[in-house]
Amino acid sequence: MLETVNLSKTYKDKKAVDEIEIYLDKGESVGLLGPNGAGKSTTISIISSLLKPTSGDVRLNGKSTIKDPSEIRKVLGVVPQEIALYEELSAYENLKFFGRIYKVRKDQLEDRIQEVLGMVGLKDRQKELVKTFSGGMKRRVNIAAALLHQPEILILDEPTVGIDPQSRNHILETVKKLNEEHGTTILYTSHYMEEVEQLCNRVYIMDHGKVVASGSKAELLSILSSEDTIQVHLSKTTDALIEKIKNMEHVRQVDETSDGIRIITKKGSSILSDLVHAAEKEKSQIVHYQVEVPSLEDVFLHLTGKTLRD
Amino acid sequence: MYSVMMAQWMKEKRKPLLILLFIVISILATVIFGDASLYTQTSVEVYSTEENAEEIEKKWERLLNEASDIEFVITVEEEALKNVSEGKSDVAVRLMEKDYRLITASETPNLQLVEQEVQKVFTKEARLEAMTDVVNSSKLRNEVKDYLENPPIKVQSESLAGEEIPQYNMGMQLLFGFTLFFAMFTIGFKVNGINEDKVSGIWNRLILSPVSKTSMYVGHLIYSFLIGYVQILLVFLIFKYVMGYDIGNLPMILVISAVYTLSMVSLSMLIAGVAKTPEKFNMIFPSIIPIIPIISGIYMPPGTISNPVLQFIGDLFPLSHATEAMMGVALYDSSWNDIALPISLMLLIGVVCMGLGINMVERVKK
Repeated sequence: MLETVNLSKTYKDKKAVDEIEIYLDKGESVGLLGPNGAGKSTTISIISSLLKPTSGDVRLNGKSTIKDPSEIRKVLGVVPQEIALYEELSAYENLKFFGRIYKVRKDQLEDRIQEVLGMVGLKDRQKELVKTFSGGMKRRVNIAAALLHQPEILILDEPTVGIDPQSRNHILETVKKLNEEHGTTILYTSHYMEEVEQLCNRVYIMDHGKVVASGSKAELLSILSSEDTIQVHLSKTTDALIEKIKNMEHVRQVDETSDGIRIITKKGSSILSDLVHAAEKEKSQIVHYQVEVPSLEDVFLHLTGKTLRD
Repeated sequence: MYSVMMAQWMKEKRKPLLILLFIVISILATVIFGDASLYTQTSVEVYSTEENAEEIEKKWERLLNEASDIEFVITVEEEALKNVSEGKSDVAVRLMEKDYRLITASETPNLQLVEQEVQKVFTKEARLEAMTDVVNSSKLRNEVKDYLENPPIKVQSESLAGEEIPQYNMGMQLLFGFTLFFAMFTIGFKVNGINEDKVSGIWNRLILSPVSKTSMYVGHLIYSFLIGYVQILLVFLIFKYVMGYDIGNLPMILVISAVYTLSMVSLSMLIAGVAKTPEKFNMIFPSIIPIIPIISGIYMPPGTISNPVLQFIGDLFPLSHATEAMMGVALYDSSWNDIALPISLMLLIGVVCMGLGINMVERVKK
C-alpha cells in the first residue's frame, strides 16, 4: 500500500534520513522505534508529504507521492507530536474547524464529531476550552482531529508523550480499535517499547537515520536468540569489578542500569561462579541474579547500544 | 479560506480585550495629546513693577493685544509668578518703560511664540519712539496707521480653491496618527497568527488538508485586514459622530484607511517572515513600531524633520503617506487626484512587503 524507496534527507552535511526502506500493507499496524534524533519525525514528515526528500521516493499503491502529494493527503491522517489545536476554542469547535478544513460533508460533520469524540472518550467534555484540558485530554483531541475524515492510513508521532496512564491507555485502546475494527493502517512511533509491542504487527528500528532492524516481534527477538540477558544486583559496584566482568569468557556486553548491571552473554553459558569470585575479590556480594527473557528493549539496546529514552 | 477566517474570529471572541484596549487607547491618546496641542496657551499675564506701573501696563497691554492673536492680561506680580512657578502658565511678561522680561520656568514652544510676538511689538514701538526725536509723535503714529491701513501693495493669501488658507491642525494630525499607530499593533499581532499556527503544528494540518496554501494565507491575511480596518473605522466614527470632529470627506478617509491597512498587513507579513517564530515577532514588532511615527513626523508639525535620510526612512513606512493623505482630505479638501500619489506609494509598499514576506515565511518552512 505505502512504501518508501531509498528515502534520504540531508540537512547541510548531516544525513537525517539515510536510504531507508519501509512498507505498510493495508490494515497493518507498524511501529517505528528509535532514540531521539534517529530520524523518525523526518521520515514521517516525508511520508506525509510535509517535507521533500533529498533523494528517494514515497509510493502509494505504486504511485509517487513526492511528485503528486494530493493522493496521499486524501487517505492520510496525521497526529503530530505537538498539540496542533487552538487552545482558545473548545474541543467541539476545534473539531468543527478541522472537519470543515478536511471538507467533511456538512450533513455528516456533526455525526463525525460526536463519533470521534466518543472514540477518544471526551463526549461529555466537548464544550470545554482546550486550554483547560490536561495534557492527556489535549492529546486525545489531537488524535480526534486526525480521524474526522476517516483516513485509511493514520500516522501517529509519539502520541503518548508526557501524559497520565489513564489517557495513555485510552489512546492505545483507541488506536488498537481503529486498526482492528475499522481496518485503519497505522504507522506508530514511540519511545515506549511496550506500546509498540502491544499495538504493532511489525517494527522498524531506526538509529542515526538508518533502519537497523525490522520485522515482527518474534523475528526481532530472534536476533537475541544466541544471547542471554542477565540482570545482577550487587552490594557494591566498582569500575574494576565491571572491567573484570567484561573480560570474562562468553560475556559480550555489560551495561550499568538503575537496578545494578545488565550482562549479555552467549546463550546457555553460566557465568555465576566466575561472577561470585569476581565480586568477592572486590569485596562485593551478589544480592540478586536473574536470567531475563529478552524483550524488544534488549533488541534495541543490542542494536543501537543505547536505551530508547537516551 | 472562510474556515480559517472564522477560526481566527472565534479566537478573537474569546479574547477581545486586546482590540478593545487599542480602540480605547487610540481615543484617549488623541483626546489627551490632540487637545493639548489644539488649545495651546492663548492668554499671557503681564505686569509691571515700575513706579508708573499702571501707565506702563495699560500702554503695553493695548499695543500687545492690538498686534497679536495672543491675549495679554494685566495682573499683579505675585499672581503671575505664582502661576508660572506652579506650571499653570508657561510664561508671564514683566513690562518696563521701554523693555520687557519674560518670566518662565521651562523652555516650551509657547515661550518662543510669546517672545516672538512681544519682541515684534517692542521693536516696532522702539522704532517709532526713535523717530519721535525728529517728528511729532502723534502725527507720525497717525501717518503710520493710515499707511498700514492703505498700503501701496497688498498681499492676499488664499487656497487653491480660492478659499482662506486653513490653519494647520496638529490635533487632527494626532487623531489620524494615533489611530493608525495603534491599528498597527492589532494588525501585526493578528498576522503573527501565521507564525503561531506554524509553531503549533496547525499549519501542517492545514497543508495536509484539501485547503490550498493560498486559501490559508488569504484567510489569515483577510482576517488581519478586517480586524485592523474595523478598529480604525470605529475610532474615526466615534470621533466624527460622537465627539464631533470634522475629519473631512469620510468615504475618502475610509479608502485611505483601507489601503493603509492593506500595506500594514504586508509590512507585518514581512516582519513575521524575518522573525520566524511568534516569540521573536512579539519581541521585534513592538520594538520597531513605536519608532515609525517618530521618524514619520507624526508627533510633530510638518517640516520639523528636515534630515533627508530620516525623511527617506519615514517614507518607507505607510504611516507617513496615510497621514499625509488624510490631512489633505481633512484640512485642504484634497481630491482623488491629490491623494493618488500617497495611495500608490502605500500600495507599492504593500506589494513589495507581501512578496518578500510570504517568500521568507515559506523559506522558514524548508
